[in-house]
This record gives sequence, C-alpha cells and structure tokens, in this order.
Amino acid sequence: MGERAYDRAVRLAGVALAAAVFLFLIAPLVVLVVSSFSPTGSMAFPPSGFSLRWYAEVLGSPDWQVSFRLSGLLVLLVVPTTVVIGTLAAYGLAQGSFPGRRLLTGLALSPLMVPEIIIALGLLYYFHGVGLINSLPGLWLAHSLVALPFVVRAVMVSAAQLDPVLERAATSLGAGRFRVFRTVTLPLLRPGILAGAILAGVTSLGEVAVTALVAGANTTTVPLRVFSAVQYQLDPSMAAVSTLLMAASVVVMVVADRFARISEAL
Amino acid sequence: MTSAVPGTGAVRRGWWYVLPLAVFLVALFLVPLVRLLRLSFSPVGPYNAALPGWTLSQYARVFTEPYFYGSLLRTAGTALLVAVLCVLLAYPAAYALARRRAGVLRTLLFVIVISPLLTSVVVRTYGWVVLLSGTGVVNRALVATGLRDQPAQLLTSYPAVVIAVTHVLLPFAIIPLTTALGGLDRNLHRASQTLGAGPVRTFLRVTVPLSLPGVVTGALIVFALAMGIYITPLLVGGVTQPLTGIRVYDQVSTVFDYPVAAALSFALLALTVVSTALLAGVFRIWERRLHG
Repeated sequence: MGERAYDRAVRLAGVALAAAVFLFLIAPLVVLVVSSFSPTGSMAFPPSGFSLRWYAEVLGSPDWQVSFRLSGLLVLLVVPTTVVIGTLAAYGLAQGSFPGRRLLTGLALSPLMVPEIIIALGLLYYFHGVGLINSLPGLWLAHSLVALPFVVRAVMVSAAQLDPVLERAATSLGAGRFRVFRTVTLPLLRPGILAGAILAGVTSLGEVAVTALVAGANTTTVPLRVFSAVQYQLDPSMAAVSTLLMAASVVVMVVADRFARISEAL
Repeated sequence: MTSAVPGTGAVRRGWWYVLPLAVFLVALFLVPLVRLLRLSFSPVGPYNAALPGWTLSQYARVFTEPYFYGSLLRTAGTALLVAVLCVLLAYPAAYALARRRAGVLRTLLFVIVISPLLTSVVVRTYGWVVLLSGTGVVNRALVATGLRDQPAQLLTSYPAVVIAVTHVLLPFAIIPLTTALGGLDRNLHRASQTLGAGPVRTFLRVTVPLSLPGVVTGALIVFALAMGIYITPLLVGGVTQPLTGIRVYDQVSTVFDYPVAAALSFALLALTVVSTALLAGVFRIWERRLHG
C-alpha cells in the first residue's frame, strides 16, 4: 500500500514538473497576447480592460503597412525559391549516388550550425560590395539562405523513405524521366515538401538575426520593426504586432497539420 | 538506405538535382564566408576603414583584449549552462509528450513545444522583456509575496539572458528527446518493475540510459545554437552583455570596425566547432561506459 502511494507521488511530481516546463514555454507568448488587448498605454499585466485600439493603431499606421506588405512579399518569394531548390537537392542527396554526396549533404545543412552572427556579418560585407544592402533582392536571397536547410532536411526525410522500385516501375511502363518525377516522385515527397514550405515561410516571417544587418530604412520587415522598437519603448502596439505574427504562424501550422506531420521534419 | 546501390535508382546522376543548391550555397554562403575570412586579416586605417594588405593584428586584438577574449569564454560558459538547463527542462516535458497517447491533449502539448519555433525570435524575446520589466509580472509577484521590497532590475541582467536563451532553444532539446523516449520499448519498464525496481530506479537505470542519444543530440544542437545567438541576449540583456555575438554586432553597428568584427566572429566559429566536437567526444565516451 505504501509502495503504491510512493509510486503515485513520483508520478504526480513528474506531471507537475512537466506542467511547469510547458508553462515556462508558453508564458511569454500568453503575456504578449493578453497585453495586446490592453486599453491603456501601459504593459501592466493583467490589463485593466479590453480594447482593440492597439490593433487599430498598428493596422492604420502607414509605416506598419509597408512592413506588413514587405514581410508578406518576402514569404511569397522565399517559399517557392527554397522549395524548388531544396526539393531537387534533397531528392538528389537522398536518392542519387555520385561522388561528394556526403560532403554536399553537409554543405546543404551547414548554414544551420554556423553561428547566425557570422552569416549575418558575411552577407553584410558581401552585399555592401554588390549593392544589395537595403534592397528587396538582398533580403530575398538572405532569407532564402537561412530557410534552405530547413527545406532540405524536411524533404530528405520523405526522400529517404522513397522506394526507387516505384520510379523504375513507372519508367518501365514507358514514362519519361520528367513524367516519372512529376507523377510518381513529387506526390511521394509531398509531406516533406509541405513541411519544408511551412518552415521556410515561418522562418522568413520571423527572421531578424541576418535581416538586422542587411536591411535598411527602406526594407524594414515586421519583426525588424519590432526589434528596433522594443529596444526603445514598451507599448502594447508591439504586443499587437507580435500577436498578429503569431496568429499568422498558428493559422499556417494548423492548416498544414492536416496535410503533413511537421513533427517528423523538425 | 535505398540509395546505397549505385546505378539502380532513377537518379543515377543525381548530382544534377543538387546543382542549383550547390550554386546558391557557393554564391551566398561560401563566397561571403571566404571574403569575411580575408577581411579578418586586413589592417585598418583611419576611421576603422579596411586597408589592403595582410596582418594578424585583428586576431592579436581578439586574443589579448579582455573585452574580446573574455566574451568568448563567457559565451562558451553561457552556452554550456543553457545546454544543461535545456536538457534538464526538456526531460519532464519530453517524457510527458512521449507517454501521452495521440489525442487532443497531446496535440496541444506538441503545439506548445513547437510554438516557439514558429514564432519570431523577436516575439518570444519581447514576451520576456514584458515579463521581466520593472512593472512586469515577475517583479510584481516578487514584491507582492514580500520576497523583495521594490522591483528588481531583472532586464539587462545576466540571469535574464540565460532564462530567455534557454526558453528560445528549449524546443531543440525537447524534440529529439521526445523521439528517443517514444522509441523505447515499454516492456523494458515492465521488466524492470517486475524485477522489483521502483519507478525512480527504473527511470534512472532504464529510461535515462536508453534515451541518451536523444539527450546528446539535443544538448549539442542547443550548445551550438547558443554559441551564435545574439538577438535574444541583445534584447533582454542590452548591448553591454559580454557575449561574443553582441560584441560583433556592436563592432559592426556602432564602431564600424569590420576587420576586428570578422576576426572575432571567426574566433567564435572556431571555438564553436572545437567545443562541439569535444562535447560530442565526451558524450561518446560516456555512452560507451554506460552500455559497457
């Protein structure tokens, strides 16, 4: 009997610990969402009432509108770029056999492990020389670089499970190489591609580490504007923007979770 | 696993598929890195402008001025601390996730775990800025419970940096650990308990050793990422925190000394690679000991 009680106490302690960790993970995000509805200019928590004034302020501000448009445009550019390059590469790396395959796999994933400040500084110095600082193409390339490894890794998970017999069957039935890729290979890679596309979009939407150095006055993305603002002031309009950014990610994720298991790609 | 036999797949010459990626990475990753490396060997003239020629003086500065080398040591120490904290915090969360059967609660918990990955680092960090500010929740709780007479200066402090960085990197420890714990054979637990071991002993002698690969993966990823992170410590800790990422950012954005910033960042890269490899070696020895 005493042993049973002891077992239960241990289990309960484990659950309590886990709950504490989950609370730790979610607390900063919850605080932001709640304070974004504050009716006053203070970030006091819990807020003294409910209002949408900070949302109205942010959505009505021309500066923020420019940033929202820029961030949206970047996602629309970065996702197709990285998905096309990353899918082809992941397929070749997982299924091909050619010298240097391992080296290339390492290279493809290495931007993930290099400290972000080096990538940022490298691009800053490089873009200075070629006139891409403070430009849309510059940010497009920079975000694509940061997002690519996520796409490659996600698609490689699907590509590694791909059975080449299916492709050979299609070939022996008379399909050309392109047709095989389009009608057999691509559908089989779909879960990985979808997960990769989500990760690429979310990465671009939230990127600051590299953006902070290569962007400029004309190319202030939404998170970069939050970054600069947070260093000087704390007001609920930033919480409102953060909540909007989070909402965008959550919507994408919930929709995508119906089609792909992002968990496997991470 | 399917690609081992050469010449059998439909993509015998698979390198064609990798070509666009290779071109992209050479142009935007390798070339910038090589040019940055070259810059780190450049002398500087008036107003910190980089001059042609070669010198080791930037590296000499990095390794003799405490402002720079001190930040490297502090960064490595911080990364180690954060890796340990992340593994410790990840364990209960991953354990709860792995043991829960598929259902609404599991999905919810999983969303909580990956939500930091899907929200901008700025947003997550801003949450901590709000929590830790003078009028924030943490401070008011401290005052209300009588632990302190007046709000503490939590922001711009080193503990705030450790807390926020741990939070930002925690999912990278939870995910591999959940995978490792989820793959464990539950019969082993039962066997251990039938043989008379209590839950604690079973956990320490069966679960932990078997989940070690997940712990190692998570710890190494968190350590490497913590070495290079700079936005989060900058926002919660301020520009005076003695961490290398912040020092590099400061050299570039306010001092405009690019060559020394380049040298410092390559010192950071070297330290990251060497210490990650060392850690991996230590883990391998530890694992071999555990499994005899």
